[in-house]
Amino acid sequence: MTDARVGAAVPAAAPGHPDLPDGPWSPGEALLVATDLVKSYGPVQAVQGVSFQCNPGEVLALVGENGAGKSTVAKMLAGAVTPTSGSIAVGGQPLAYGSVRQSRQSGVRCAFQELALVPDWTVAENLSLPDGAPYRGFSQKKSVVAAAELLEAFDLPHIDPRATVGTLSLADRQLVEIARALAGRPKLLILDEASSALTPPGVAWLFQRIRELTAEGGSVIYVSHRLGEIAEIADRGAVLRDGKVAGEFTRGSWTDDQLISLMAGREAARFFPDPPARTTDATALSVADLRSEGVHGIDLSLGAGEILGIGGLQGHGQAELLRALFGAAPATADSWTVAGRAVSGTTPVRSVRHGVGYVPEDRKREGLALEMSVGENLLVPWFKAYQLGGRPRLSRERGWIDGILGALSVHTRGPNELSGALSGGNQQKLVFGRWMNRSRTVILLHDPTRGIDVRAKQELYEAIVDLAKQGVGIIWFSTEVEELVHVCHRVVVLYQGTVIDELTGVRLTGDAVVGASMGLRAAA
Amino acid sequence: MTSSAVPASQSPAGEPRGKPLGWSSARRVGSRVPRSIWPLIAFLVLFVIGGLIRPNLITVDSLIGTATFAIILSIASFGQTIAVIQAGIDLSVPNTIAFSALTFLGLVGPLGPAGAFSAALVAGAVIGLLNGVVISKLGLTPIVTTIAMNGLLFGVILLVFNFSELTAIPEFILAITSAKISVLGLETAAVLPLGLALMAVLQLVLSFTGWGRSLFVVGSAAEAARLGGLPVDRIRIGGYVLSGVLAAFAGVVIVGYYQQASATMGASYLLSSVAAVVVGGASIFGGRGSVVGTVGGALVLAQVSTLVAVLNLGANIQQLIYGVIILLVISLYGRRANN
Amino acid sequence: MSVAAPARLPRSAGITRLRREGAIAPITAFAVFFLVYVIINPELLTRFQLQTASNLVVPLALVALGQLLVVLVGGIDISIGAIMSLCNVVFATQLEHVPVPLAILLAIGVGLACGLFNGLLVAYGGLPAIAVTLASAFIFGSLAREVLDRPGGGITKAIYLATSGELLPYLPVSLVWLSVVAVLLWLLLQRTALGRHIYGVGSNMESVRAAGLDARLTKLLAFGLAGMVTSLGAMMLAASTVTGDPRSGDAYLLSSIAAVALAGAAFTGGRGSIIGTVLAACTLGLIGNLLFFAGVNSYWQYVISALIIFTVVGLPVVWGKVAFAVKGRRP
Repeated sequence: MTDARVGAAVPAAAPGHPDLPDGPWSPGEALLVATDLVKSYGPVQAVQGVSFQCNPGEVLALVGENGAGKSTVAKMLAGAVTPTSGSIAVGGQPLAYGSVRQSRQSGVRCAFQELALVPDWTVAENLSLPDGAPYRGFSQKKSVVAAAELLEAFDLPHIDPRATVGTLSLADRQLVEIARALAGRPKLLILDEASSALTPPGVAWLFQRIRELTAEGGSVIYVSHRLGEIAEIADRGAVLRDGKVAGEFTRGSWTDDQLISLMAGREAARFFPDPPARTTDATALSVADLRSEGVHGIDLSLGAGEILGIGGLQGHGQAELLRALFGAAPATADSWTVAGRAVSGTTPVRSVRHGVGYVPEDRKREGLALEMSVGENLLVPWFKAYQLGGRPRLSRERGWIDGILGALSVHTRGPNELSGALSGGNQQKLVFGRWMNRSRTVILLHDPTRGIDVRAKQELYEAIVDLAKQGVGIIWFSTEVEELVHVCHRVVVLYQGTVIDELTGVRLTGDAVVGASMGLRAAA
Repeated sequence: MTSSAVPASQSPAGEPRGKPLGWSSARRVGSRVPRSIWPLIAFLVLFVIGGLIRPNLITVDSLIGTATFAIILSIASFGQTIAVIQAGIDLSVPNTIAFSALTFLGLVGPLGPAGAFSAALVAGAVIGLLNGVVISKLGLTPIVTTIAMNGLLFGVILLVFNFSELTAIPEFILAITSAKISVLGLETAAVLPLGLALMAVLQLVLSFTGWGRSLFVVGSAAEAARLGGLPVDRIRIGGYVLSGVLAAFAGVVIVGYYQQASATMGASYLLSSVAAVVVGGASIFGGRGSVVGTVGGALVLAQVSTLVAVLNLGANIQQLIYGVIILLVISLYGRRANN
Repeated sequence: MSVAAPARLPRSAGITRLRREGAIAPITAFAVFFLVYVIINPELLTRFQLQTASNLVVPLALVALGQLLVVLVGGIDISIGAIMSLCNVVFATQLEHVPVPLAILLAIGVGLACGLFNGLLVAYGGLPAIAVTLASAFIFGSLAREVLDRPGGGITKAIYLATSGELLPYLPVSLVWLSVVAVLLWLLLQRTALGRHIYGVGSNMESVRAAGLDARLTKLLAFGLAGMVTSLGAMMLAASTVTGDPRSGDAYLLSSIAAVALAGAAFTGGRGSIIGTVLAACTLGLIGNLLFFAGVNSYWQYVISALIIFTVVGLPVVWGKVAFAVKGRRP
């Protein structure tokens, strides 16, 4: 029975139960050996010859910037992605590629970055169905009981096993996902950015579970770019950069700075431009008591030429704030002005008319029409139904288009190339570039540098600073604290849908941003 | 195949730099040939095959005969093309055709041909407007909305029209559809140049106007269009209105050409209009398609039916071949583009 | 713990699930409809009328269940009418040659084969369901007319009685068969892991895959099962009309989709209920009858069906918008 298996897993995973399933490996031997892993997607090599090993009872960290290939490696270990070449052996046995099920059966389990929970299933279903045979009976009642026991054993009693996963908060969903991976008492647990939405108690909970697992001899591969967590939990680590292992480290043998330069690469050592000096006191945007789904009363004021950073943990209202400000989600406010003009009940169409631009989170789905040309994608906000379009419009706008493509150094064969053929960084530049030199008052950025290479990041930073110099107000939500600290004039940190702290000048430090995003308000 | 002379709606024509040899370059060249060319090529191949089987099929008359049949299917499928480009579908085409045809015939007495013609088009526009509003404002799926609309129209047709009166077909419509005219010395039914002219106008609108291009953006990535500040709902509704008007136009043309009208006169266009669009290279997920391609798709289907008739295989085999052709076409380029 | 969520009040799991699957609206709609029907035409509750009415709706309900299975995995079946026609004529013609049980098995087998054909191309070929089933609609339809080109076949009185007669007074056999199928399907969907996988695949195929389940096989099985259920509808139709007809399924393409829409199923997949679909099919199937007894031109049924669909499916959307507008204005 499906549910019985989950139930059976509980006592074993609970602390003080050290017996391990008999594996064919001896204690000194590595549990996991990955040799020369390569994964290419068409012409793009996401992972180029990565080798590492992980010993029993060890926590191995895989660190690297977004797009360094960490997630692809984790997915190959989990069986979700088939390597182009290379081999993975667990306990001396080669792993079956491309089958999550077989990986799970050989004791490798993964909590994915993009949640692998089915949103329309209940928590209980998500916990028990993956381990059951498909042609067996399934009892809601039994699965709920088993899931409740499991959640209890893992110290997660606040999660209702009958709740539909889609209704849980992001943090709770991550907890369920981790609990599901732990439930099978894995030999090897892969946590792929699994802590990205967790609050400090949540992270502490996760570390407790990891210690229990390693105490029993299980191993953990901890994929993250949060250096603080890695310092606390990892025994050893490997740094990935551009799909290769750039270096390895062991506990206590490294400093944050060393790791950061390893992650970023020497030649592309990170250089953050300073925010430009402000020349005017004019207000670009101001809003009082903004309310929307997930945004519970936010006051903001943005000056012309100011770069305002938005910080905080994932899922605390940053995305919703930007969408509300752009009119993409319904929102209300006590007062709301853009460039001094009152705004109410705005929509994206009206926002564009008011001089607001928005760079959304998911460039492939929300940003670009991938089947259309580079030039037309740049022009999307400026289409006029009754004017020319297509070819004639492109040649008429050629000057502007070439200017943007040049200023952002977009690698493309020209405005007629399909935007789907561009690399991620260049696609992001298109979504950003369409707002440049179009007399914008405010530009809203949703983590524009996520998942793009270092060069592209650099070019975007400069473009952002240039825009601010021209007097455009910029609201920039970033998941990289460094960006917030170095490039922004001012940073507001959101916590549970409200502003918990506003940091400027000397108070604007990485620690302060991180602290505030955990819900701690520093003494002023 | 060279990559020159590509219409704007399609692939890039930038300078090819350092092309690698082999399959990927062949593929790249292939992908840069506009999709709307492939059905035309397929049609020519079928035409030649027909000639090999029966040499008397390679004549201008035979070509015109097939083309006339194809152009009527095309006119009925133009509206469907617009709906599919914007990632929708219009299953109310059949009864929009019947409704407009019957409206036209019913009003031709009181309003005169021009008045009745306008009334039919307005009826189509209203149907499209309702479809568009329900789809974009109420958020019903296009397929369900247009099916329900199709049913609703069927009821209205049965309730409103008295079929015994609907017989006289005005000269004006005959003149632009079934009348034989001579173009460049070739004898053809008037509907053929009419349909080709309509195709040209529509293709120009789709390729070279802001509205046409925004239709493609909406079809390709609706959320991106919305967050780019395009009035997605208005564009959608406009698309369905145009789709309805074109179906209504098709209704009048069909009445003129076949000189008969009935409540079920559009039924055969339910699936065949979608078939012509799909064979014409449009993506059923939206964002890709062209009316030129649809004419090509209709030509392929029409040539198949000519061949089937010549070889005496029967209507069943024709349908079977239609199915196989659609399967071939979608397995060639029916997969989601971005994976 | 990190986020303190209030403990949920235990609510009846069945009601919660029905609400989640969108079944409340069609159940309500059916209840209202049934009430109106019985008020206008109390004669419904006579033996003859009950039997006629149930013979009318059972084929539609079964085909709609077939359509539901495909919709649950995020597809749509344009070929369902053609599958129905094909099974219908296979059943009717085979009865002339082979024993009844074998003819039934053959018809079910044909339905299964059609469903698997679609399912293979969709699940393993990665092709869009709407385009695949459009193609197979042409193919299956032409096969149906090859098997039997005009209405006919060898359906006997005995078969009519076994499928469309009365089991007990006031209990039409067709209703019993429908109940058996519906209950079995319900058990499958709610009480087996496969059933939950079907919902999961429609909800989010990638998640199901990432959890290590065979999403493609699940999709294939859903299509195959849909074909089988459709073949049952085809046989019920053939038997109740005592003839096999190669065009009999045509009308069911649009009405099966309409019934599934009225049932509140999500056409993106993952949501939809058996009971809702059966009742939606009953509502749509009986409108013509009701109008007949109300003395209204029965052509109105087409208009009214469409309006019911727009209302039942559109009302929650409008309601949501109004509710937000009202709530949003409040400070």
